[in-house]
Amino acid sequence: MTAEIIVVTSGKGGVGKTTTSASLATGLAMAGKKTAVIDFDVGLRNLDLIMGCERRVVYDFVNVVHGESTLKQSLIKDKRYDNLYVLAASQTRDKDALTQEGVEKVLDGLSEDGFDYVVCDSPAGIEKGAHLAMYFADHAVVVVNPEVSSVRDSDRILGLLASKTRRAEKGEKPVTQHLLLTRYNPARVAIGEMLSVKDVEEILGIEVVGVIPESENVLTASNNGIPVIVDANSHAGQAYGDTVARILGEERPLRFIDVPKKGFLQRVFGG
Amino acid sequence: MSAKMDTADACDLRFGQVGIACVRVRRVDAAALCDELERRVRAAPQMFARAAVVLDLSHLLDLPDDGAVDALLEAVRSAGMLPVGLAYGTSETEALAKRMGLPLIAKFRAAYEPAQGNAPAAEPARHAEPAPAVQREPILSAPPPGSMQGAQHHAGSVRSGQQIYARDRDLIVTGAVANGAEVIADGNIHIYGGLRGRAMAGAQGDAKARIFVSDFRAELVAIAGQYRVFEQIPDDLEGQSVQCWLEGDKLLIAKL
Repeated sequence: MTAEIIVVTSGKGGVGKTTTSASLATGLAMAGKKTAVIDFDVGLRNLDLIMGCERRVVYDFVNVVHGESTLKQSLIKDKRYDNLYVLAASQTRDKDALTQEGVEKVLDGLSEDGFDYVVCDSPAGIEKGAHLAMYFADHAVVVVNPEVSSVRDSDRILGLLASKTRRAEKGEKPVTQHLLLTRYNPARVAIGEMLSVKDVEEILGIEVVGVIPESENVLTASNNGIPVIVDANSHAGQAYGDTVARILGEERPLRFIDVPKKGFLQRVFGG
Repeated sequence: MSAKMDTADACDLRFGQVGIACVRVRRVDAAALCDELERRVRAAPQMFARAAVVLDLSHLLDLPDDGAVDALLEAVRSAGMLPVGLAYGTSETEALAKRMGLPLIAKFRAAYEPAQGNAPAAEPARHAEPAPAVQREPILSAPPPGSMQGAQHHAGSVRSGQQIYARDRDLIVTGAVANGAEVIADGNIHIYGGLRGRAMAGAQGDAKARIFVSDFRAELVAIAGQYRVFEQIPDDLEGQSVQCWLEGDKLLIAKL
C-alpha cells in the first residue's frame, strides 16, 4: 500500500496554499486517514505556524533529505489528531537544499511507515521548490483566487502538471487535477468585481472541487495556529470539510457561492 | 545532448520528429565512426541504444563505394544502434541505395542538391512575429512529395506557456487555447474551443492558410506573418465562431 501524494500548488503567491494544505491534511486526518503534511517552502517556512507547532520543530525536511536526522525524529505529531504529522521546512536554507532523490527518499519512507496521504505544500512560483513539490504527485489541488492573474498562473501550473511530473514523464495515468477556488466573495462577484465560479471553470476548462468563501475566520484561525477546518462553525471551515469529502470521492453540492439572503431581523434593523 | 560540434568528430547526430536519428558521416572511417557512436550510446543509452538511425552521406565529397558503405553500416550496428537506411541525397545516393537494397528515407530540403540549381520557392520574407522557437533542422519524418500529410491533432487544452507547432501541416485543437499559450501551424489552424491566446497559421509563408475558431477571444492571430493583436476584442466577434484569412496584405476576420 503506497501513500497517495497530494500537492497543493498555485503558481501565484498569497492565494491560500498553506492555509489549504493545513486544512486539507487536518481534514484527511479527521476522516481517519494517516496523513503527513510537508512544507516545501524552504527558506519561508509558514506551515508550522498555521498548524500551531512552530515551537516544536527540532529537525526539518532539509535535515531528513540530507540524512542528518531520521524521518521519525523529524515528524511532528499534531496536538489535536494523533494520525496527523507535520514535516516543517527549514527557515535557514534555500530551495537548492532539496534534491529530487532526497524528496523521493522521504516520500518512500512515509509510504513504508503506513501513511495513507502525504500533502505537499508547494512554494509559489514554478522554480525548483515548486517543481519538486509537484514532481511525485498523484493528485494536485490547484488553489486559485477569483481574479485574472491568479487564473492565468494556475493555467500555467495545470500545463506543468500535465508535462513535468513523474507520471507525465513515465507516461502513466496523469496527475488528478482538482481546482480549489479560495477567497470567494459572492457579493463582489454579483457586482462584477470578481470572477464567478463559472468564469473560472470556463477559462481553465476544469470543474472546481470546492469554493472557500472569503472569511475573517481564516485569518483568525491562522494567527492562532489552528487550521480553519477545525472551526466547524465557520463557513470557510465547512467549505474545506466539503472539499476534503469530495477529494475522498463523496458527492456534495457547492455551498456559500450565492449572496446570503438577509434574514427578517437584519432587514428590519439593517444588516 | 551536447551541442558542441567538433569538426574532428566522425559524425554528428540529429533527431527528427519520429525519433529517428541521422548519422551524418563526415569522413569514411568506419573505426572512428564506431568509436564516436559508442561514446554517444554510452553517454545517453536511453536515447541512443538500439535507436533506429539513417546514414546521411551527403556531406562527403565523393560517394563511397558499396563496400565502404557496408563497413559504415556495420560500424553503426556494432556501436549498438540499428541502421535502417540511407538518407536521401543526390541521384547517386539513390542508385547506391538501390544497389545495396537499402531504403532511402525522406527527401530533405533542396539544399542537398546544390548542383542542380533548382532552388525551392523563396522563403517568405515577411515574418512579423518572432519565428517559432522550434527546431529548424530538416526533419526526417517529412513524407515524400505527393503523399497525404494529414493534420496534427491536439486533444485537450493548451495551457498558458505551452506552445504547439504543426510542421508542414494543419493543426486541430479540440480544447481551449489559454491566455499566454501559442498554437502555430505551417498549414491551417482549427480550434474547437476558446482561443484566448495566440494562433499563427501559415508560419512558413502560406498566405492561403486560414484560422477557424469556435469561440473567439484571441490575443493575437497571424497568417503568413500578417498579424493582428486585440487589445479589445470587437463586440461582434467576441465569443463567436470566426474564420481568419488573408486578402492581399489584409488580415480579415469574420463570423462563420
